[in-house]
Amino acid sequence: MSATDVQSAADVVPRGRSGPSPDGVAARPARPARRRRSPAEWVRRGGLSTVVLALPLLVIFGVFSWLPIGRAVVMSFQETNLLTAHWVGLDNFRAVLADPLLPVAVRNTAWFALLALVFGYPVPLVGAVLMSTLRRMRGLFSVLAYLPVVVPPVVAVLLWKFFYDPRPEGVFNEILGWVGLGPFPWLQDQTAAMPSLVLEATWAAAGGTVIIYLAALTSVPPELYDAAEVDGASIWGKIRHVTLPHLRGVLLITFILQIIGTAQVFLEPYLFTGGGPANATVTVLLLIYRYAFGQSLGSDYGMATALSLMLAVFLALLSIAWFRLTRNWSTS
Amino acid sequence: MTALTTARADRPRRADRPCRAVDEEPRGLVSPADWRRPIVWLGLRAGHAVLLALLLVWGIGPILLLAKFAVTPTQDILRTPLAVFPNGITWANLDAAWNDVEVSRYLLNTVWVAAGAWVSQVVVAATGGYVLSVLRPRWGRLLHAAVLATLFVPAVVLLVPLYLTVLDPPVGGSMINTFWGVWLPAGASAFNVVLVTRFFDSLPREVFEAAAVDGAGPFRMFWSVVLPMSRPILGVVSVFAVIAAWKDFLWPLLVLPDPDLQPLSVRLPTLQGSTDKGVLMAALAISTVIPIAVFLAFQRLFLRGAGLGGAVKG
Amino acid sequence: MRSRRSTSALALSGAVAIGLLAGCASDDPADPAPGGEPAGEEKVTLTVVSLIPGSEQAAFDAFEERVAQFEERYPNIDVEGVEYEWRATTFAAQLAGGTLPDVFEIPLTDAKTLIENGQLADLDEAFAQLDYAEEFNEALLDAGRGEDGHVYAIPAKSVYGVALHYNRELFEQAGLDPDDPPSTWDEVREYAKQIKDATGVAGYATMATNNTGGWQLTAATYSRGGRVQEATDDGTYVATLDNPATQAHLEMLEAMRWEDDSLLADTTLDWSTINQAFAAGQLAMYTTGSDVLNALMETNGLDPAVYGMTAMPLEGADAGVLVGGTLAAVTAQADDATKDAAIKWIDHWYLSTLRDQEQAVADAKVRFEAGQGVGTPVLPIFSREQYEQELAWKADYINVPLDQMTGYTDVMFDQPVVGEPSRATQETYALLDVPVQAVLTDRNADIPALLAAANEQAQALLDE
Repeated sequence: MSATDVQSAADVVPRGRSGPSPDGVAARPARPARRRRSPAEWVRRGGLSTVVLALPLLVIFGVFSWLPIGRAVVMSFQETNLLTAHWVGLDNFRAVLADPLLPVAVRNTAWFALLALVFGYPVPLVGAVLMSTLRRMRGLFSVLAYLPVVVPPVVAVLLWKFFYDPRPEGVFNEILGWVGLGPFPWLQDQTAAMPSLVLEATWAAAGGTVIIYLAALTSVPPELYDAAEVDGASIWGKIRHVTLPHLRGVLLITFILQIIGTAQVFLEPYLFTGGGPANATVTVLLLIYRYAFGQSLGSDYGMATALSLMLAVFLALLSIAWFRLTRNWSTS
Repeated sequence: MTALTTARADRPRRADRPCRAVDEEPRGLVSPADWRRPIVWLGLRAGHAVLLALLLVWGIGPILLLAKFAVTPTQDILRTPLAVFPNGITWANLDAAWNDVEVSRYLLNTVWVAAGAWVSQVVVAATGGYVLSVLRPRWGRLLHAAVLATLFVPAVVLLVPLYLTVLDPPVGGSMINTFWGVWLPAGASAFNVVLVTRFFDSLPREVFEAAAVDGAGPFRMFWSVVLPMSRPILGVVSVFAVIAAWKDFLWPLLVLPDPDLQPLSVRLPTLQGSTDKGVLMAALAISTVIPIAVFLAFQRLFLRGAGLGGAVKG
Repeated sequence: MRSRRSTSALALSGAVAIGLLAGCASDDPADPAPGGEPAGEEKVTLTVVSLIPGSEQAAFDAFEERVAQFEERYPNIDVEGVEYEWRATTFAAQLAGGTLPDVFEIPLTDAKTLIENGQLADLDEAFAQLDYAEEFNEALLDAGRGEDGHVYAIPAKSVYGVALHYNRELFEQAGLDPDDPPSTWDEVREYAKQIKDATGVAGYATMATNNTGGWQLTAATYSRGGRVQEATDDGTYVATLDNPATQAHLEMLEAMRWEDDSLLADTTLDWSTINQAFAAGQLAMYTTGSDVLNALMETNGLDPAVYGMTAMPLEGADAGVLVGGTLAAVTAQADDATKDAAIKWIDHWYLSTLRDQEQAVADAKVRFEAGQGVGTPVLPIFSREQYEQELAWKADYINVPLDQMTGYTDVMFDQPVVGEPSRATQETYALLDVPVQAVLTDRNADIPALLAAANEQAQALLDE
């Protein structure tokens, strides 16, 4: 329902790689051959109970997932103000593609995603590798790294907005002033605004990534290190030939999940800058929000769903391409 | 989202390798022999020290500053944000945040939102996982596929149609300005269902068969056999559910326009323009205390939930 | 206002004329409640706008006091106040979500479209119950009429002209005479620089986001004799965002930001956050509606002693003051009983305090005792005479420093006034946010190019 789900998905993917593989016990007993049964028989054999137990899932998914997904597709071909709706063919898609803000939003979103990768991908990896060599106090390190993640995102944004005060006495400007830097305009500059957003987003999310990497690192079978040492590998050699290859799967998955997550960034631009200054931080999701909810007179739900479907299809294609491309890497 | 399936697909390949609990580890990247080399020892120790310093600044610095702001007079926050209490400490802002801005009420709303979302997610995931993994009706495969399919749909696609659904649901009246509008959609988390289903898949089926032989019906089996065994996975689902509900912003912003019902995440930004900066900082600090306290109290659960397979195993 | 420029310019002169004609025909204090007798015994619950979120407790107390007076008068109506601030960016969701209070407030400019969309209740019948229904300024009332001539939205709360507001304390610290505020844009720039140099505080600031940047840029454009859209004879509209006045104002802002460093570099200011920054002493001068002091006191706890207001500088042949206002409207789903209760509330809360001595004094007393502003200058919804009469009734409770606002009050009835752009108002403002933010954040902003781009998009919206 929200971007958080995407993130929590990222949190858990590596789980199966270290835990007992559930599929290991998936050898299901052979089912009895199916044959026609009377309704009474069906009830007696628990068919009714099964349906009752499945009801929560059926109802909740039906109303709040399957129905809205179908509705999204329908609405993208309609013009609707909720009271009436009529088909407009591809007009919504055309209108979105003709919006001069779309290329701006796409560029900004891509820039955000790229910066988020640059800030948020390698540093947690280095940190996690270093933490994995700790013999004591790893818990303390983990808690410290993860602490920002539990700060509510809205609090983090409002706090950082204050840190980004462009006056020389602003928090960051004063700190940087101690070493003779700045003052910087931070959010009040069309070039600096986006990196400022990404910096905060990285602060808020990096801890989770560190913990994921750390989990994967601690699941490296020690025999592999033993073997490498027998071959006389140095620490660096072990990192290159044992650790990183073992992490490859996790790294590849967090990479694409991070892209999918950052492509839907909303909170930071919405709360930090409202898309400004001068549209420098308008993202695709912010544009969707504006189509749907941001105009005081009449919402354009059709354009909003059209753009969201385009984004979804793009992300799906990207994911497929990514896994096609990397399938060979992970099995090499 | 595609990631999940791919991860799943290549899993059996690895299933036969020996598994190891994550917490107990005899060794890692650096061997005892390595440790005995002075250069390695020094290098790593220095690395750890730098890392610790950075983590202190990174992880605690901003939070400590926020704590300081909460008890600093407003004018000091604006003029000398980094000075250490040049004009003493004031509790007035905390008092104003709690009583005048009524952070207490929004905190309670947040708890309500999180609690309901938790119930809804646990109920759907537990019953759904039980049906899909243990009962396995004929239509189960279709259902499973339909649930999995939603994993591929990014949240953004749902935003508008889900809003319109909540506005005018198939049965009943508008759920706008009711907690149901947040609670019920939260239950439709395919991720939870998949997680629980896979966990149930890993339970020994002999247990269920024995229970069935003893005459336990589907409900009894669910209540007395499956639920007690699924505590670990429900713990993980719970952590995810509560964190997600605590953090969510856009959805409650749309569904709960009534300030009396809004959780902190929605209320705080609207106070920016009307609230004194010092009071706002105090309100931010109060909003942060509870999640941090809960995290410190249940840190193992959080950290395992965030990264480890250990939690799945229990 | 949907009316053309010429019509909207009539708004105030019209107010005066109608005031003269109608006089004070119905000011009989023995009148029953202007909405007529309570409608039956049926219990009605009415949700209404209270104050903007985060207002001071005293302001809420004052509101509750007025609600109690209302409920005593109409025992069958149960009033529930809802916090509300009209924002371009959230209104649509609230409207679609059906979460607006029964009686809510909308900008003058939005009424026609909302009526066309069928989103406002037809109040014609209920409106006719008001015994002063005939006395409204016609141009204002017309903004809330539908194509069918029925009244859907009623002028309420305030009609404002944009004015220049300043911090007297900062003026004094910079060696400027707070009783002699700037009267030209050049002086504004000069004063701002002097304040910045002397105090380190930004001398001037402008709203820049949530469409308010475009709103204030339009006000500045008017004050320099420009317009952002023109009606043609064949009923179509031409966008003129790239007019010389808008350009001149942006150039001034750019110079203040980058040459003088006297402009507050904050692109996230909107109506409420700039008020907050002003109350916190972070800027010395800004432009906004003439009634802002009420909000500054209700919400931001400003000490009125430091507050000063003067008229917008007017320069050029066609210069005028941007006027805007608020209409009270009722949700389209409302039934007759609700509409009836709504009109009584609109009368009680918004209008009787302007027209009925008893109500005016009661309201002034409550606000005075709660430390809220009484007597803040606004433009009249009925007539100048009516307005001055109302002030006379409230004289004992006036607690705003009117002698610090004479720069505005001396000329408020004589200034030429111009309505807001009548088509695609909010969209036009949103487009104009961008050049404002650009000059605040880019020392080399290409103003003509920015305006040309905005103008092209505005024209596309007007052509729809």
